[in-house]
Amino acid sequence: MTAPLLRALRVARRYGAVEALAPTDLELLPGEAVALVGPNGAGKSTLLGILAGAIEPGEGAIETHARIGWVPQRPAHYSRLSARENLELFARLENVPDPRAVALQMLERFGLPATRRPSGELSVGNRQRLNVALALLGEPRVLLLDEPTAALDPGQRRRVWEVADTLRAEGGAVCFATQNLEEIEHASRTIVLQGGRVVSLTVEEIFG
Amino acid sequence: MSAVWLLLRKDLRVLRRSPLLLGALVAYPIVIALLVGLVAGYASSKPRVAFVDEDNLPQVVAVAGHRFHIQTVIDDVARQVTLVRLSGAEAARELADGKVVATITVPPGFLGDLETTVVSPHLILETGSGGLAPRVTQQVQSLVYQLNQKLQGGYIEANLAFVRLLLHGGNGKFLGRRFNVLGLDRTEHELALLPPGKRVATIANFVRQAKEGLAQTGDALRATANPITLKQAPAHGRTWLLSAQVQSYGIAVTVTFLALLLAAGATAAERDEGTIGRLRRGLVSLGQLVWSKVALAAVVGVVLGAAIAIVFGIVVEIGGVTGGEPWARLPLLLAGVLLAAGAAGAAGALLGALAREARTASLLAVLIVLPVVFLGLVPRGAVPAAYWVSLFLPFAHAVRFFGAALYATSPWHAVGVEAAWLAGIGAASWALARIGARTLSA
Repeated sequence: MTAPLLRALRVARRYGAVEALAPTDLELLPGEAVALVGPNGAGKSTLLGILAGAIEPGEGAIETHARIGWVPQRPAHYSRLSARENLELFARLENVPDPRAVALQMLERFGLPATRRPSGELSVGNRQRLNVALALLGEPRVLLLDEPTAALDPGQRRRVWEVADTLRAEGGAVCFATQNLEEIEHASRTIVLQGGRVVSLTVEEIFG
Repeated sequence: MSAVWLLLRKDLRVLRRSPLLLGALVAYPIVIALLVGLVAGYASSKPRVAFVDEDNLPQVVAVAGHRFHIQTVIDDVARQVTLVRLSGAEAARELADGKVVATITVPPGFLGDLETTVVSPHLILETGSGGLAPRVTQQVQSLVYQLNQKLQGGYIEANLAFVRLLLHGGNGKFLGRRFNVLGLDRTEHELALLPPGKRVATIANFVRQAKEGLAQTGDALRATANPITLKQAPAHGRTWLLSAQVQSYGIAVTVTFLALLLAAGATAAERDEGTIGRLRRGLVSLGQLVWSKVALAAVVGVVLGAAIAIVFGIVVEIGGVTGGEPWARLPLLLAGVLLAAGAAGAAGALLGALAREARTASLLAVLIVLPVVFLGLVPRGAVPAAYWVSLFLPFAHAVRFFGAALYATSPWHAVGVEAAWLAGIGAASWALARIGARTLSA
């Protein structure tokens, strides 16, 4: 049996009286692409944040057996630093060898401007591409994407899915949250969430 | 490269790219230092005091046979105040407008009383109601004391002239009458020419005793006029000046304010930018995150503290403030600034973590820093509760550290105690900020 790259064991999270995520189990196997589908407030972002290690679970545990890249829903970078400076800083924090060269490669790969312009002044699409580029800095085997294509044009969307598909083909795994039903075709498995719980409903039933 | 250093470098770069904030950071210490320097200069400057002469004093006054040039006497004694001759009306107007801090009036009949030496003449002092009034009163009291000393000298000299006349003989004048005195020297000489005898020997003995006694009169008169004199020993060590106090407060206010504000804003900004999630994914521990904000506050605090001390020192040197600037103590002062800024920075990081939003954090820091400063200004005896609360806040300890570092002759004990307090407050704030930072990524 293939060992999972990432495993969530009964992970849950509450915000005060609100249960953002009920105890949930999830395994990501090599070559797998899991889609998290559900309406707003379903718990998709919380689950991805917990899987990424960005949010501490209130209970449960995460087992990781591979390097993880995380693309949060809202671009997460320093808006007063340029795209290159952001990439270089996070590359250094990830202990990537030759961070300067890697940052330049990423700029070229994602078509980002190599100027000193603050990233906060970039277009929404460019900021989202920077968001994805930052997730790929450590050459992760698991990619967690939280509605990654929401602000992208069709060409940019295609490029993101090419990255995800390549990763899967190379034995990695992808888990993505989406409300775009067309994107589910990129998934090998779909998990439907509602009110912080995994439910046994179909996508059509959820979105009517 | 360590995560703390990388985040610190990032925060400094972000700071450099915030022109408004950077401008405020550069201007703030300069303005504070200039204001503080001017206050210090004013504190040691001579206040302007009106001199109203209602007795029409002549240019030269003869008292007890001595001639006093009025302007020379005034210039000589007015070392601590600047006396300005004004009419009564002008003086009243300038006192009301605050252009002079006090008025000294020579009332009619002053010189007459002085010359008779029977009645003590009086001067009239009127001060404004400002905070300088007690100080001006003290300075004028000192002025009158010095004037009295000069007159005393004159009176003693006049009395000694009569004593010399008794000793050596000659022509004298008293209450307008001229007379000739034989004098003890000539009496002794005349006695020596008389045939020896018991009665002559008795008189000669008296003359000798009188001569010996009168020879001591000068010292005796001076001793009775000034039973106690104050001799100032050569100055050793440093002097605690008002300028030192204001410098300590100036640096402490700036460092506390900016360290708290910067660390709070920078911590909360990690959440605003959404980067806290990325950092927490094993890239940076919460402890390292808080350390980076403490380091930011400490670095900026040291740079600003040094800027204030240097600008202040230049103002002090140019203004010729007594005591000058203790440049050799600058490294010790900056060590204190590093500690104080670090402690305030840790408290700021805690605020930022709790506020979770940069704008709220900045507002909260501004709201909190004012009571922190005011609590530190409350003397121990005034409101004991405030004093005890201020012990657990960095400001009061920073002020004491800076004061000791700058002007205490032996600063090490005070500096050690305050450094321990600042380190303790910083460590406690760091620990709380680390716990509080867990909520940032929630």
